[in-house]
Amino acid sequence: MPTLTPILAWTPFLDPIDIHRVWYLTLIPLAFGIAVVYKAVRLHDLNHYWRHVLIMTAQIALGIIALAIATWLLVILILPAIAP
Amino acid sequence: MSTPHDLHTGFDLLAGLAAAALPGAGHALAGDPKRGLRIGAGVLGLFTAGLLIGGIDCVDRAEDGWWFIPQAMIGPAAFAVDHYHQNFLKKPRPTNPGFQPPPNSPRITPAPGPGQTYTKSLGKPNDIGILFTSIAGMLNLIVVIDAAFPTRRRPR
Repeated sequence: MPTLTPILAWTPFLDPIDIHRVWYLTLIPLAFGIAVVYKAVRLHDLNHYWRHVLIMTAQIALGIIALAIATWLLVILILPAIAP
Repeated sequence: MSTPHDLHTGFDLLAGLAAAALPGAGHALAGDPKRGLRIGAGVLGLFTAGLLIGGIDCVDRAEDGWWFIPQAMIGPAAFAVDHYHQNFLKKPRPTNPGFQPPPNSPRITPAPGPGQTYTKSLGKPNDIGILFTSIAGMLNLIVVIDAAFPTRRRPR
């Protein structure tokens, strides 16, 4: 089975993961990790810690998606209209 | 509700040093193990995720010196990973006889040569791995400052 060859040859931590097609999905764990640390440092009271972490994760992810859309609009639509 | 860590005031050198040595240890040492555990899990989790995504090649003081500066803020873990990378994976060894260090263009060696024990990380996996590990290091700088100056946290 040729499709299994890359998986069988992959050594965790020594070889990179083949995420060239789905690299943007790493935004979620990145945002979650940042939120875990930031909220642990920032919050005075840790009672509602995980709720704050999930909210911040969503805020980061949505913010980056909004920036991506804005950049796409600027580069694909607005700039060609201004300077064809 | 104030946590034990908030009761400290001024400058806590020991907590700062502990946080620099091991993420989260500073807060645990200052009497807030719950906070320290979450910080440690977050920082080391990001660092480990970066290594998993981009491979050990993401931490490379020799070839990516500028990126190693934020990565080094993790503490001894980053230096240990780099030491292993430089001395056990890059150098020609009996178990790694085919590896030749790149002469002038160190980044153009994607193919694992015969006997080479790891794959050079390129493209998106390399970018994302470096991003994860560098952000983990920069977050740990915030953690060290917070551990050393605990009075900066304010109740809402």
